Amino acid sequence: MRISLAQVAPRLGDLQKNFELHHYFIEKARKKKADLIVFPELSLTGYTLMDMVQEVGLNPAKAPLFKRLRALSRDIDIVPGFVEEKEPGLFYNSAAYLSKGQILHIHRKVFLPTYGMFEEGKFFGQGKNFRPFPTPFGKVGLMICRDFLSFGAGYILFVGGAEVIIVISAAPGRGFSDEGGFATSRMWELMGEALSFFSSSFVAYSNRVGFEDGKAFAGGSFIYNPLGNLVAKAPAVDEQLIIADLDLEEVRSARKKWPFKRDDRPELLLQALQRIVYDNED
Amino acid sequence: MKINPPFVEKVLCAFIKEELSKFHYSRGIIGLSGGLDSSVCAFLAAKALGPKNVIGLILPYKKTFREDVRDARSVARRLGIRSRLIDISPMVDTYFSRFPARDKIRIGNKMARERMSILYDFSAKEKALILGTSNKTELLIGYGTIHGDTACAINPLGDLYKTQVRELAAHLGVPERILAKKPTAGLWPGQTDEGEIGLSYEEIDQILFQLVDDRQPPEAVIAAGFSRESVEKILSLIRNSEFKRKMPPIAKISSRTIGHDFLYPYDRNR
Repeated sequence: MRISLAQVAPRLGDLQKNFELHHYFIEKARKKKADLIVFPELSLTGYTLMDMVQEVGLNPAKAPLFKRLRALSRDIDIVPGFVEEKEPGLFYNSAAYLSKGQILHIHRKVFLPTYGMFEEGKFFGQGKNFRPFPTPFGKVGLMICRDFLSFGAGYILFVGGAEVIIVISAAPGRGFSDEGGFATSRMWELMGEALSFFSSSFVAYSNRVGFEDGKAFAGGSFIYNPLGNLVAKAPAVDEQLIIADLDLEEVRSARKKWPFKRDDRPELLLQALQRIVYDNED
Repeated sequence: MKINPPFVEKVLCAFIKEELSKFHYSRGIIGLSGGLDSSVCAFLAAKALGPKNVIGLILPYKKTFREDVRDARSVARRLGIRSRLIDISPMVDTYFSRFPARDKIRIGNKMARERMSILYDFSAKEKALILGTSNKTELLIGYGTIHGDTACAINPLGDLYKTQVRELAAHLGVPERILAKKPTAGLWPGQTDEGEIGLSYEEIDQILFQLVDDRQPPEAVIAAGFSRESVEKILSLIRNSEFKRKMPPIAKISSRTIGHDFLYPYDRNR
Protein backbone atom coordinates (compact mmCIF):
# COMPACT_ATOMS: atom_id res chain seq x y z
CA MET A 1 0.00 0.00 0.00
CA ARG A 2 1.08 3.55 -0.63
CA ILE A 3 0.54 5.78 2.38
CA SER A 4 0.80 9.56 2.51
CA LEU A 5 0.98 11.87 5.50
CA ALA A 6 -0.20 15.46 5.02
CA GLN A 7 1.89 17.61 7.34
CA VAL A 8 -0.22 20.74 7.02
CA ALA A 9 -1.14 23.93 8.91
CA PRO A 10 -4.93 24.20 9.22
CA ARG A 11 -6.59 27.56 9.74
CA LEU A 12 -7.97 28.00 13.22
CA GLY A 13 -11.77 27.72 13.32
CA ASP A 14 -12.31 27.88 9.54
CA LEU A 15 -14.01 24.67 8.36
CA GLN A 16 -14.47 25.82 4.79
CA LYS A 17 -10.83 26.83 4.25
CA ASN A 18 -9.68 23.64 5.91
CA PHE A 19 -11.91 21.53 3.72
CA GLU A 20 -10.25 23.21 0.72
CA LEU A 21 -6.85 22.43 2.22
CA HIS A 22 -7.87 18.78 2.59
CA HIS A 23 -9.22 18.67 -0.92
CA TYR A 24 -5.98 20.07 -2.28
CA PHE A 25 -3.79 17.53 -0.47
CA ILE A 26 -6.16 14.65 -1.24
CA GLU A 27 -5.86 15.46 -4.95
CA LYS A 28 -2.11 15.73 -4.65
CA ALA A 29 -1.89 12.34 -2.93
CA ARG A 30 -4.31 10.76 -5.38
CA LYS A 31 -2.19 11.93 -8.30
CA LYS A 32 0.78 10.21 -6.69
CA LYS A 33 -1.34 7.07 -6.51
CA ALA A 34 -1.50 6.96 -2.72
CA ASP A 35 -4.02 4.51 -1.24
CA LEU A 36 -4.38 6.44 2.01
CA ILE A 37 -3.86 10.00 3.20
CA VAL A 38 -3.52 10.81 6.90
CA PHE A 39 -4.09 14.36 8.19
CA PRO A 40 -3.05 15.71 11.61
CA GLU A 41 -5.17 16.04 14.75
CA LEU A 42 -8.11 18.47 14.41
CA SER A 43 -7.07 19.05 10.79
CA LEU A 44 -10.53 20.31 9.82
CA THR A 45 -10.67 22.92 12.58
CA GLY A 46 -7.24 23.80 13.97
CA TYR A 47 -6.15 23.00 17.50
CA THR A 48 -6.37 25.94 19.92
CA LEU A 49 -10.13 26.23 19.62
CA MET A 50 -11.17 26.86 23.22
CA ASP A 51 -14.80 28.06 23.14
CA MET A 52 -14.85 27.62 19.35
CA VAL A 53 -15.13 23.85 19.97
CA GLN A 54 -18.87 24.35 20.32
CA GLU A 55 -19.04 26.24 17.03
CA VAL A 56 -17.19 23.84 14.75
CA GLY A 57 -18.48 20.46 15.96
CA LEU A 58 -19.63 18.08 13.21
CA ASN A 59 -21.83 15.04 13.32
CA PRO A 60 -20.24 12.77 10.70
CA ALA A 61 -23.54 11.08 9.95
CA LYS A 62 -25.25 14.37 9.12
CA ALA A 63 -22.74 17.12 8.31
CA PRO A 64 -22.62 18.09 4.60
CA LEU A 65 -18.85 18.57 4.91
CA PHE A 66 -18.49 14.90 5.84
CA LYS A 67 -20.62 13.92 2.90
CA ARG A 68 -18.14 15.70 0.65
CA LEU A 69 -15.19 14.06 2.39
CA ARG A 70 -16.84 10.65 2.06
CA ALA A 71 -17.28 11.31 -1.65
CA LEU A 72 -13.56 12.09 -1.93
CA SER A 73 -12.76 8.80 -0.17
CA ARG A 74 -14.06 6.76 -3.09
CA ASP A 75 -10.62 6.91 -4.69
CA ILE A 76 -8.36 7.16 -1.66
CA ASP A 77 -8.82 6.34 2.02
CA ILE A 78 -8.78 9.43 4.23
CA VAL A 79 -8.06 9.97 7.92
CA PRO A 80 -9.06 13.50 9.02
CA GLY A 81 -9.11 14.99 12.51
CA PHE A 82 -12.16 16.97 13.60
CA VAL A 83 -14.40 18.10 16.43
CA GLU A 84 -17.16 15.53 16.64
CA GLU A 85 -20.54 16.49 18.03
CA LYS A 86 -21.47 12.91 18.81
CA GLU A 87 -24.73 13.81 20.47
CA PRO A 88 -26.20 17.31 20.66
CA GLY A 89 -23.90 19.35 22.88
CA LEU A 90 -21.31 16.54 23.40
CA PHE A 91 -17.99 17.33 21.77
CA TYR A 92 -15.02 15.02 21.19
CA ASN A 93 -11.57 15.37 19.68
CA SER A 94 -11.97 12.66 17.02
CA ALA A 95 -10.34 10.93 14.08
CA ALA A 96 -12.27 9.15 11.33
CA TYR A 97 -11.21 6.49 8.85
CA LEU A 98 -13.05 6.96 5.54
CA SER A 99 -12.89 4.41 2.75
CA LYS A 100 -14.93 3.90 -0.44
CA GLY A 101 -17.44 6.50 0.63
CA GLN A 102 -18.01 4.94 4.04
CA ILE A 103 -16.95 5.78 7.58
CA LEU A 104 -15.17 2.64 8.76
CA HIS A 105 -14.29 3.89 12.22
CA ILE A 106 -14.26 6.87 14.55
CA HIS A 107 -11.75 7.14 17.36
CA ARG A 108 -12.41 9.64 20.16
CA LYS A 109 -9.30 10.87 21.93
CA VAL A 110 -8.99 9.19 25.31
CA PHE A 111 -6.11 11.03 26.91
CA LEU A 112 -6.90 14.75 26.86
CA PRO A 113 -3.83 16.68 28.02
CA THR A 114 -4.84 19.28 30.57
CA TYR A 115 -1.77 20.80 32.15
CA GLY A 116 0.62 23.65 31.38
CA MET A 117 -0.14 24.86 27.87
CA PHE A 118 -2.85 22.22 27.26
CA GLU A 119 -6.53 22.66 28.10
CA GLU A 120 -8.29 19.85 26.24
CA GLY A 121 -10.06 18.43 29.29
CA LYS A 122 -11.81 21.77 29.67
CA PHE A 123 -13.38 21.69 26.23
CA PHE A 124 -13.73 18.03 25.13
CA GLY A 125 -15.48 14.92 26.31
CA GLN A 126 -13.27 11.90 26.91
CA GLY A 127 -13.21 8.94 24.53
CA LYS A 128 -13.36 5.47 26.06
CA ASN A 129 -11.79 2.95 23.75
CA PHE A 130 -8.97 1.81 21.47
CA ARG A 131 -10.36 -0.61 18.92
CA PRO A 132 -8.61 -1.79 15.76
CA PHE A 133 -10.83 -2.23 12.72
CA PRO A 134 -10.50 -3.93 9.33
CA THR A 135 -9.64 -1.82 6.29
CA PRO A 136 -8.65 -2.68 2.72
CA PHE A 137 -5.07 -2.52 4.04
CA GLY A 138 -5.20 -4.81 7.04
CA LYS A 139 -6.28 -4.06 10.55
CA VAL A 140 -5.75 -0.43 11.54
CA GLY A 141 -5.60 1.14 15.00
CA LEU A 142 -6.12 4.88 15.47
CA MET A 143 -4.74 7.12 18.18
CA ILE A 144 -4.69 10.88 18.65
CA CYS A 145 -1.55 12.68 19.85
CA ARG A 146 -1.30 12.16 23.63
CA ASP A 147 -2.99 8.74 23.30
CA PHE A 148 0.19 7.57 21.62
CA LEU A 149 2.31 8.44 24.66
CA SER A 150 0.41 5.91 26.75
CA PHE A 151 2.14 2.56 26.21
CA GLY A 152 -1.04 0.92 27.49
CA ALA A 153 -2.99 2.38 24.56
CA GLY A 154 -0.46 1.04 22.05
CA TYR A 155 -0.56 -2.33 23.80
CA ILE A 156 -4.36 -2.53 23.48
CA LEU A 157 -4.12 -1.90 19.73
CA PHE A 158 -1.43 -4.59 19.52
CA VAL A 159 -3.58 -7.13 21.37
CA GLY A 160 -6.54 -6.10 19.24
CA GLY A 161 -4.61 -7.15 16.16
CA ALA A 162 -3.52 -3.85 14.63
CA GLU A 163 -1.06 -4.17 11.77
CA VAL A 164 -0.91 -0.49 10.98
CA ILE A 165 -1.07 2.00 13.85
CA ILE A 166 -2.01 5.49 12.73
CA VAL A 167 -1.44 8.46 15.00
CA ILE A 168 -2.73 11.91 14.18
CA SER A 169 -1.17 14.71 16.17
CA ALA A 170 -0.97 18.43 16.91
CA ALA A 171 2.15 18.39 19.04
CA PRO A 172 3.83 21.73 19.74
CA GLY A 173 7.62 21.72 19.75
CA ARG A 174 9.58 22.63 22.84
CA GLY A 175 13.29 22.94 23.48
CA PHE A 176 16.17 22.56 21.08
CA SER A 177 18.16 19.58 19.93
CA ASP A 178 21.71 19.54 18.61
CA GLU A 179 20.67 18.10 15.26
CA GLY A 180 18.18 20.91 14.66
CA GLY A 181 14.48 20.51 15.26
CA PHE A 182 12.65 20.54 18.57
CA ALA A 183 13.86 18.50 21.53
CA THR A 184 10.35 17.12 22.12
CA SER A 185 10.22 15.53 18.65
CA ARG A 186 12.50 12.81 19.99
CA MET A 187 9.80 11.68 22.44
CA TRP A 188 7.40 10.85 19.61
CA GLU A 189 10.05 9.08 17.56
CA LEU A 190 11.10 7.07 20.58
CA MET A 191 7.56 5.77 21.00
CA GLY A 192 7.22 5.19 17.24
CA GLU A 193 10.40 3.15 17.16
CA ALA A 194 9.55 1.16 20.29
CA LEU A 195 5.90 0.51 19.50
CA SER A 196 6.51 -0.49 15.87
CA PHE A 197 9.20 -2.94 16.93
CA PHE A 198 7.50 -4.49 19.94
CA SER A 199 4.11 -4.73 18.27
CA SER A 200 5.59 -5.77 14.92
CA SER A 201 3.31 -3.22 13.25
CA PHE A 202 3.71 -0.20 11.06
CA VAL A 203 3.43 3.08 12.93
CA ALA A 204 2.52 6.21 10.96
CA TYR A 205 2.55 9.51 12.83
CA SER A 206 1.11 12.59 11.12
CA ASN A 207 1.86 15.82 12.98
CA ARG A 208 0.92 19.33 11.97
CA VAL A 209 2.98 22.47 11.43
CA GLY A 210 2.17 26.17 11.63
CA PHE A 211 1.58 28.45 14.59
CA GLU A 212 -1.40 29.12 16.83
CA ASP A 213 -1.16 31.81 19.49
CA GLY A 214 2.61 31.48 19.33
CA LYS A 215 2.68 27.70 19.73
CA ALA A 216 4.89 26.19 17.02
CA PHE A 217 3.62 22.79 15.93
CA ALA A 218 6.63 20.59 15.44
CA GLY A 219 5.93 18.60 12.26
CA GLY A 220 8.45 15.77 11.99
CA SER A 221 5.82 13.26 10.83
CA PHE A 222 7.23 9.75 10.42
CA ILE A 223 6.65 6.12 9.53
CA TYR A 224 8.34 3.12 11.16
CA ASN A 225 8.19 -0.43 9.81
CA PRO A 226 7.41 -3.55 11.90
CA LEU A 227 11.11 -4.07 12.63
CA GLY A 228 11.39 -0.62 14.18
CA ASN A 229 13.20 0.95 11.24
CA LEU A 230 12.46 4.46 10.05
CA VAL A 231 10.81 4.42 6.62
CA ALA A 232 10.18 8.14 6.10
CA LYS A 233 10.37 11.36 8.04
CA ALA A 234 9.23 14.91 7.35
CA PRO A 235 11.20 17.97 8.47
CA ALA A 236 10.16 20.29 11.29
CA VAL A 237 8.32 23.55 10.50
CA ASP A 238 7.59 23.03 6.77
CA GLU A 239 4.33 21.91 5.20
CA GLN A 240 4.88 18.68 3.34
CA LEU A 241 3.25 15.58 1.91
CA ILE A 242 5.33 12.51 2.63
CA ILE A 243 4.68 9.32 0.73
CA ALA A 244 5.91 5.80 1.38
CA ASP A 245 5.20 2.31 0.09
CA LEU A 246 4.45 -0.15 2.85
CA ASP A 247 4.59 -3.87 2.27
CA LEU A 248 2.10 -5.42 4.69
CA GLU A 249 3.96 -8.74 4.32
CA GLU A 250 6.57 -7.17 6.57
CA VAL A 251 4.18 -7.58 9.49
CA ARG A 252 4.16 -11.32 8.89
CA SER A 253 7.92 -11.60 8.47
CA ALA A 254 8.57 -9.49 11.59
CA ARG A 255 6.20 -11.67 13.63
CA LYS A 256 7.91 -14.83 12.36
CA LYS A 257 11.27 -13.43 13.44
CA TRP A 258 10.14 -12.00 16.79
CA PRO A 259 7.14 -13.89 18.24
CA PHE A 260 6.09 -11.10 20.62
CA LYS A 261 2.50 -11.42 19.47
CA ARG A 262 2.36 -15.21 19.72
CA ASP A 263 3.84 -15.24 23.22
CA ASP A 264 1.76 -12.41 24.60
CA ARG A 265 -0.58 -13.24 27.53
CA PRO A 266 -3.20 -10.49 27.72
CA GLU A 267 -5.40 -12.58 30.06
CA LEU A 268 -2.61 -12.71 32.67
CA LEU A 269 -1.99 -9.01 32.31
CA LEU A 270 -5.70 -8.36 32.65
CA GLN A 271 -5.81 -10.28 35.92
CA ALA A 272 -2.77 -8.42 37.18
CA LEU A 273 -4.30 -5.10 36.14
CA GLN A 274 -7.55 -5.95 37.85
CA ARG A 275 -5.70 -6.73 41.05
CA ILE A 276 -3.88 -3.41 40.85
CA VAL A 277 -6.93 -1.36 39.93
CA TYR A 278 -9.42 -2.95 42.34
CA ASP A 279 -7.23 -3.96 45.27
CA ASN A 280 -5.08 -0.92 45.69
CA GLU A 281 -7.31 1.82 46.88
CA ASP A 282 -5.96 5.29 47.47
CA MET B 1 20.47 26.91 27.93
CA LYS B 2 22.22 26.64 24.60
CA ILE B 3 20.04 27.16 21.58
CA ASN B 4 20.42 25.90 18.05
CA PRO B 5 20.66 29.27 16.24
CA PRO B 6 19.93 28.14 12.65
CA PHE B 7 16.83 26.26 13.79
CA VAL B 8 15.65 29.11 16.03
CA GLU B 9 16.09 31.49 13.10
CA LYS B 10 14.00 29.22 10.89
CA VAL B 11 11.18 28.90 13.44
CA LEU B 12 11.07 32.61 14.28
CA CYS B 13 11.09 33.68 10.62
CA ALA B 14 8.24 31.24 9.93
CA PHE B 15 6.39 32.66 12.94
CA ILE B 16 6.74 36.27 11.78
CA LYS B 17 5.70 35.43 8.26
CA GLU B 18 2.73 33.27 9.23
CA GLU B 19 1.36 35.60 11.91
CA LEU B 20 1.48 38.63 9.63
CA SER B 21 -0.17 36.82 6.77
CA LYS B 22 -2.94 35.54 9.09
CA PHE B 23 -3.79 39.14 9.88
CA HIS B 24 -3.47 40.05 6.19
CA TYR B 25 -0.37 42.18 6.67
CA SER B 26 2.77 41.94 4.61
CA ARG B 27 4.76 44.55 6.49
CA GLY B 28 6.31 44.76 9.92
CA ILE B 29 7.47 47.78 11.86
CA ILE B 30 10.09 47.85 14.61
CA GLY B 31 11.36 50.47 17.00
CA LEU B 32 15.11 50.40 16.37
CA SER B 33 17.16 51.43 19.39
CA GLY B 34 20.57 50.43 18.15
CA GLY B 35 20.65 47.73 20.84
CA LEU B 36 20.80 43.99 20.57
CA ASP B 37 17.13 42.97 20.77
CA SER B 38 15.68 45.35 18.20
CA SER B 39 18.62 44.66 15.87
CA VAL B 40 18.01 40.90 16.07
CA CYS B 41 14.31 41.46 15.49
CA ALA B 42 15.08 43.57 12.42
CA PHE B 43 17.43 40.90 11.04
CA LEU B 44 14.74 38.22 11.49
CA ALA B 45 12.01 40.43 10.01
CA ALA B 46 14.10 41.35 6.98
CA LYS B 47 14.73 37.68 6.33
CA ALA B 48 11.11 36.63 6.92
CA LEU B 49 9.33 39.43 5.06
CA GLY B 50 11.97 40.80 2.74
CA PRO B 51 13.78 44.06 3.55
CA LYS B 52 11.31 46.17 1.59
CA ASN B 53 8.54 45.06 3.94
CA VAL B 54 10.28 46.13 7.12
CA ILE B 55 10.23 49.63 8.58
CA GLY B 56 12.54 50.66 11.38
CA LEU B 57 11.66 53.72 13.43
CA ILE B 58 14.57 55.32 15.24
CA LEU B 59 13.11 57.36 18.08
CA PRO B 60 15.79 59.17 20.08
CA TYR B 61 15.29 61.84 22.69
CA LYS B 62 17.25 64.97 21.67
CA LYS B 63 20.89 64.34 21.00
CA THR B 64 21.41 61.77 23.69
CA PHE B 65 22.43 58.27 22.69
CA ARG B 66 24.13 59.45 19.51
CA GLU B 67 26.04 56.20 19.15
CA ASP B 68 22.85 54.21 19.42
CA VAL B 69 21.26 56.23 16.65
CA ARG B 70 24.33 55.58 14.52
CA ASP B 71 24.11 51.84 15.25
CA ALA B 72 20.39 51.73 14.52
CA ARG B 73 21.03 53.44 11.20
CA SER B 74 23.81 51.05 10.34
CA VAL B 75 21.50 48.08 10.98
CA ALA B 76 18.85 49.59 8.70
CA ARG B 77 21.43 50.32 6.02
CA ARG B 78 22.99 46.92 6.24
CA LEU B 79 19.62 45.16 5.94
CA GLY B 80 18.28 47.53 3.28
CA ILE B 81 15.11 48.19 5.27
CA ARG B 82 13.32 51.54 5.31
CA SER B 83 14.07 53.63 8.35
CA ARG B 84 12.96 56.92 9.71
CA LEU B 85 14.33 59.07 12.49
CA ILE B 86 11.87 60.92 14.69
CA ASP B 87 13.05 63.00 17.63
CA ILE B 88 10.59 62.48 20.49
CA SER B 89 11.82 65.42 22.55
CA PRO B 90 9.19 67.99 21.41
CA MET B 91 6.36 65.73 22.60
CA VAL B 92 8.07 64.65 25.79
CA ASP B 93 9.33 68.14 26.69
CA THR B 94 5.91 69.71 26.13
CA TYR B 95 4.40 67.27 28.59
CA PHE B 96 7.03 67.71 31.27
CA SER B 97 6.99 71.51 30.91
CA ARG B 98 3.44 71.28 32.27
CA PHE B 99 4.06 68.47 34.75
CA PRO B 100 7.71 68.74 35.71
CA ALA B 101 9.41 65.59 36.92
CA ARG B 102 12.82 64.66 38.22
CA ASP B 103 12.03 61.03 38.75
CA LYS B 104 14.10 59.28 36.10
CA ILE B 105 11.69 56.35 35.97
CA ARG B 106 8.72 58.62 35.25
CA ILE B 107 10.63 60.38 32.50
CA GLY B 108 11.92 57.12 31.05
CA ASN B 109 8.46 55.54 31.08
CA LYS B 110 6.98 58.57 29.36
CA MET B 111 9.59 58.27 26.62
CA ALA B 112 8.89 54.57 26.19
CA ARG B 113 5.17 55.30 25.85
CA GLU B 114 5.82 58.15 23.46
CA ARG B 115 7.72 55.71 21.25
CA MET B 116 4.87 53.20 21.55
CA SER B 117 2.38 55.87 20.56
CA ILE B 118 4.37 56.77 17.46
CA LEU B 119 4.88 53.12 16.53
CA TYR B 120 1.13 52.46 16.71
CA ASP B 121 0.37 55.51 14.60
CA PHE B 122 2.92 54.43 12.02
CA SER B 123 1.54 50.92 12.21
CA ALA B 124 -1.81 52.31 10.99
CA LYS B 125 -0.23 54.74 8.56
CA GLU B 126 2.07 52.15 6.97
CA LYS B 127 -0.25 49.14 7.36
CA ALA B 128 2.52 47.36 9.22
CA LEU B 129 2.25 45.22 12.35
CA ILE B 130 4.48 46.05 15.30
CA LEU B 131 7.07 43.41 16.07
CA GLY B 132 7.90 43.32 19.76
CA THR B 133 11.49 43.14 20.95
CA SER B 134 11.14 42.24 24.64
CA ASN B 135 13.18 39.18 25.50
CA LYS B 136 12.32 36.50 28.07
CA THR B 137 14.69 37.90 30.69
CA GLU B 138 13.11 41.36 30.62
CA LEU B 139 9.59 40.00 30.52
CA LEU B 140 10.20 37.73 33.51
CA ILE B 141 11.86 40.31 35.72
CA GLY B 142 9.49 43.06 34.59
CA TYR B 143 12.26 45.15 33.12
CA GLY B 144 10.11 47.04 30.66
CA THR B 145 7.48 49.78 30.60
CA ILE B 146 3.90 48.55 30.61
CA HIS B 147 2.14 49.89 27.50
CA GLY B 148 5.55 51.15 26.42
CA ASP B 149 8.32 49.01 24.97
CA THR B 150 6.40 45.83 25.84
CA ALA B 151 3.47 46.80 23.57
CA CYS B 152 3.36 45.00 20.23
CA ALA B 153 1.23 42.86 17.90
CA ILE B 154 3.47 39.81 18.04
CA ASN B 155 6.71 39.11 19.83
CA PRO B 156 9.24 36.81 18.18
CA LEU B 157 11.86 37.21 20.94
CA GLY B 158 9.82 36.68 24.09
CA ASP B 159 10.92 33.09 24.67
CA LEU B 160 14.65 33.77 24.34
CA TYR B 161 16.76 34.85 27.29
CA LYS B 162 19.07 37.82 26.75
CA THR B 163 22.13 35.59 26.49
CA GLN B 164 20.29 33.42 23.95
CA VAL B 165 19.38 36.52 21.92
CA ARG B 166 23.11 37.26 21.87
CA GLU B 167 23.83 33.75 20.63
CA LEU B 168 21.23 34.17 17.88
CA ALA B 169 22.60 37.63 17.02
CA ALA B 170 26.09 36.25 16.43
CA HIS B 171 24.65 33.65 14.06
CA LEU B 172 22.57 36.25 12.19
CA GLY B 173 25.60 38.48 11.63
CA VAL B 174 24.52 41.40 13.82
CA PRO B 175 27.48 43.86 13.88
CA GLU B 176 30.10 43.16 16.51
CA ARG B 177 29.69 46.67 17.98
CA ILE B 178 26.10 45.91 18.88
CA LEU B 179 26.93 42.45 20.22
CA ALA B 180 29.53 43.95 22.53
CA LYS B 181 27.29 46.71 23.88
CA LYS B 182 26.26 46.82 27.51
CA PRO B 183 22.49 46.25 27.51
CA THR B 184 20.51 49.30 28.56
CA ALA B 185 16.86 50.25 28.86
CA GLY B 186 17.97 53.63 27.54
CA LEU B 187 15.96 55.54 30.11
CA TRP B 188 18.93 57.80 30.85
CA PRO B 189 22.54 58.08 29.65
CA GLY B 190 24.95 55.75 31.40
CA GLN B 191 22.21 53.46 32.65
CA THR B 192 22.96 49.77 32.19
CA ASP B 193 20.61 46.91 32.96
CA GLU B 194 23.28 44.96 34.78
CA GLY B 195 24.37 47.96 36.83
CA GLU B 196 20.82 48.58 37.88
CA ILE B 197 19.88 45.00 38.67
CA GLY B 198 23.24 44.29 40.29
CA LEU B 199 23.78 40.98 38.47
CA SER B 200 25.24 40.09 35.10
CA TYR B 201 22.89 38.80 32.40
CA GLU B 202 24.74 35.48 32.49
CA GLU B 203 23.85 35.17 36.17
CA ILE B 204 20.28 36.41 35.79
CA ASP B 205 19.61 34.05 32.90
CA GLN B 206 21.13 31.06 34.66
CA ILE B 207 18.98 31.71 37.70
CA LEU B 208 15.84 32.29 35.62
CA PHE B 209 16.48 29.20 33.53
CA GLN B 210 16.70 27.00 36.61
CA LEU B 211 13.66 28.56 38.28
CA VAL B 212 11.44 28.84 35.23
CA ASP B 213 12.45 26.35 32.54
CA ASP B 214 13.73 23.65 34.88
CA ARG B 215 11.09 24.33 37.57
CA GLN B 216 13.71 24.12 40.32
CA PRO B 217 12.82 25.27 43.82
CA PRO B 218 14.83 28.33 44.97
CA GLU B 219 16.80 26.21 47.45
CA ALA B 220 18.09 24.04 44.61
CA VAL B 221 19.26 27.11 42.68
CA ILE B 222 21.09 28.36 45.77
CA ALA B 223 22.62 24.90 46.23
CA ALA B 224 23.77 25.07 42.60
CA GLY B 225 26.02 27.98 43.54
CA PHE B 226 24.04 31.22 43.38
CA SER B 227 23.83 33.49 46.40
CA ARG B 228 20.60 33.49 48.36
CA GLU B 229 20.41 37.23 47.92
CA SER B 230 20.58 37.02 44.11
CA VAL B 231 18.01 34.25 43.87
CA GLU B 232 15.62 36.05 46.19
CA LYS B 233 16.06 39.28 44.29
CA ILE B 234 15.18 37.58 41.00
CA LEU B 235 12.20 35.83 42.59
CA SER B 236 10.81 39.07 43.92
CA LEU B 237 11.28 40.77 40.54
CA ILE B 238 9.30 37.96 38.90
CA ARG B 239 6.53 38.03 41.52
CA ASN B 240 6.12 41.79 41.43
CA SER B 241 5.82 42.09 37.67
CA GLU B 242 2.99 39.65 36.93
CA PHE B 243 0.73 42.59 36.06
CA LYS B 244 2.99 43.46 33.13
CA ARG B 245 2.49 40.02 31.63
CA LYS B 246 -1.30 39.79 31.88
CA MET B 247 -4.41 41.53 30.69
CA PRO B 248 -5.99 43.39 33.62
CA PRO B 249 -8.63 41.41 35.52
CA ILE B 250 -12.27 42.11 34.78
CA ALA B 251 -14.70 41.97 37.69
CA LYS B 252 -16.86 38.97 36.90
CA ILE B 253 -20.51 39.63 37.56
CA SER B 254 -22.31 38.12 34.56
CA SER B 255 -22.80 34.54 33.39
CA ARG B 256 -20.11 34.84 30.73
CA THR B 257 -17.17 37.16 31.06
CA ILE B 258 -14.19 38.10 28.91
CA GLY B 259 -11.07 36.42 30.22
CA HIS B 260 -12.94 34.13 32.64
CA ASP B 261 -15.26 31.98 30.57
CA PHE B 262 -15.43 33.74 27.24
CA LEU B 263 -12.33 32.00 25.95
CA TYR B 264 -10.99 32.45 22.46
CA PRO B 265 -7.51 32.28 21.00
CA TYR B 266 -5.63 35.36 19.78
CA ASP B 267 -5.54 33.73 16.33
CA ARG B 268 -9.32 33.26 16.27
CA ASN B 269 -10.46 32.38 12.73
CA ARG B 270 -7.00 33.18 11.37
